[in-house]
Amino acid sequence: MRCMSILWAEAVKSHQHNFHNKLVYFSLLIWPALLFVTSYYSFKPFNLSATGPLSAYIETDQIILFLLTGYLAYIFFWSLVQSAWNMSYERQAGTLELIFLTPVSRITVMYARAAGNLFEAVWLFTLFTLLVLLTTGQADHIHWANVPIALLFLSISAIVWGGFLNIVFLFSRDAGILFTIFEEPMQFFSGVRIPVLAFPVWGKVIAFFFPLTYVLDIFRKLILDGAGLLQLIDQFLMLAGVLAILFTVSVLLLKKAEHHAKETGNMVLF
Amino acid sequence: MIEAKGLKKTYTISKKAGFLRKEKQKVKAVDGIDLTISEGEIVGLLGLNGAGKTTTIKMLCTLLNPTAGTISVDGLDAVCDAMAVKGLVNMIAGGERMLYWRLTGAENLRYFGKLYGLHGLELEEKISSLLSQVGLSEVSDTPVELYSKGMKQRLQIARGLINDPRYLFLDEPTLGLDVPVAKQLRETVKNLAKEQQKGILLTSHYLEEVEELCDRVYIIEKGKIVLHDTPQKITETVVNEFHVSVETRTLSALEQSKLAKGLPSCKIQFLPSSDGTILEIKAPFDPTSIIIAICVEQKISIQKLELKRPRLEDAILALAKEKSA
Repeated sequence: MRCMSILWAEAVKSHQHNFHNKLVYFSLLIWPALLFVTSYYSFKPFNLSATGPLSAYIETDQIILFLLTGYLAYIFFWSLVQSAWNMSYERQAGTLELIFLTPVSRITVMYARAAGNLFEAVWLFTLFTLLVLLTTGQADHIHWANVPIALLFLSISAIVWGGFLNIVFLFSRDAGILFTIFEEPMQFFSGVRIPVLAFPVWGKVIAFFFPLTYVLDIFRKLILDGAGLLQLIDQFLMLAGVLAILFTVSVLLLKKAEHHAKETGNMVLF
Repeated sequence: MIEAKGLKKTYTISKKAGFLRKEKQKVKAVDGIDLTISEGEIVGLLGLNGAGKTTTIKMLCTLLNPTAGTISVDGLDAVCDAMAVKGLVNMIAGGERMLYWRLTGAENLRYFGKLYGLHGLELEEKISSLLSQVGLSEVSDTPVELYSKGMKQRLQIARGLINDPRYLFLDEPTLGLDVPVAKQLRETVKNLAKEQQKGILLTSHYLEEVEELCDRVYIIEKGKIVLHDTPQKITETVVNEFHVSVETRTLSALEQSKLAKGLPSCKIQFLPSSDGTILEIKAPFDPTSIIIAICVEQKISIQKLELKRPRLEDAILALAKEKSA
């Protein structure tokens, strides 16, 4: 009950504070849609036939589906990087210190913040995805029965990821480097545009460090291949392991961040 | 009761010692402070900039851990039982930060109320009552960015009361406010202590405000308490000088001599004026009754008598002068 109340409080605050202008929604659609369109047309000049290099990894006649699913999952993860970035505002405004003045569960606030931001950041692109599927005649290739469970796994993973990022930004006022790390590299190495299997070994090693890689693999197998949950048990276990590590690291970092702030008073520095 | 004993806080700061090199340096912000705050009492914490006031407040409200010493809040340890203590205290700082400007006043209170575990009708009633208490009911649905500085400060007070704290820490609450708004805030603070029995710790650079509100005052200097008493006693102890100005008819040399003899431990100046003589007297006690007695005896009519009592401001200035000397 308390968790839901805090989740709702964060969602409402986020809506009122971050999504106060209709132009924000416009950018939430235009920017990812442009990413998708530019990626799609980047593939066009290359050999996408059955003899082409990509055909070993994906169905090249379903490149739209591959990219759409990739960008949808990416937007879930990337929107929470942006949401974590807003922690800098809380630090400057002094509201971060006020949150820590209350007896609220810190870990709940961090995850509620991620969850509260997620829906509002992704619903428009999700609708766009649906629209593209319907207008390009690709909807028949989707395993609709698996869509709810796929979106559920995607959301849970994104929230665990978002909570982790919120905590990292809490720990340091100079966490802006995460923006650099997670924008283009996450998009590239997690398999959003190019299948991870197509990477050389060093690329696969880098991909291994992005939780989006594991989520996207499951997401596509559920939606595009129609795989059953039992068939994906190994992938689910792997994802569960990654999320458990992320959660454990988050809890430890959060304790360390608050302790550090109590020692140094850095929560008001910006 | 809040009881702090031997409170110390040392920060490690990095100083630039070259293009790429930094040197670590330890800075004592608070150095062995003992203080108490009881419910229903307003306690002042005074000192020059950098004396350690804000660090002390942040330790008392659990935002900072002391390097040494203990803080007990109604028997709870502020370090070990920090979460329980957070429910008993709140802090209000001066200035326009610490609010979500794009949210309305009511939305700000609703958000913070939920963090304190309030919800439903209880929360809505609390928001409505607090906004009414600070006179913001009519603008409850207006975004904070459209509030004046005084309105933002009043919303801060409401935010600080959302968890109905037993103890409230006010760090320069009237900073930059105009006179009527500051006066209104002082009334609110007085009521919180006297009617709602909240223990209040107040820091302010406006010493008249401290004199008006505080039951006791701690004066800190470089992290140490240098004086602790009521504002009146501090003033008497530190300044110990009354200034009386008396206007009379022109006094003869004999009358001047009688007055000087009657006030042997005082500094007296006789200044001619257009209507007579002005006596400027500085005394280590209130000399008005002696002056009046001599004037009656010598049949000297008093046209005007003004007693300037020493103020807390004089005491702080005297202390600062003493330290720099």
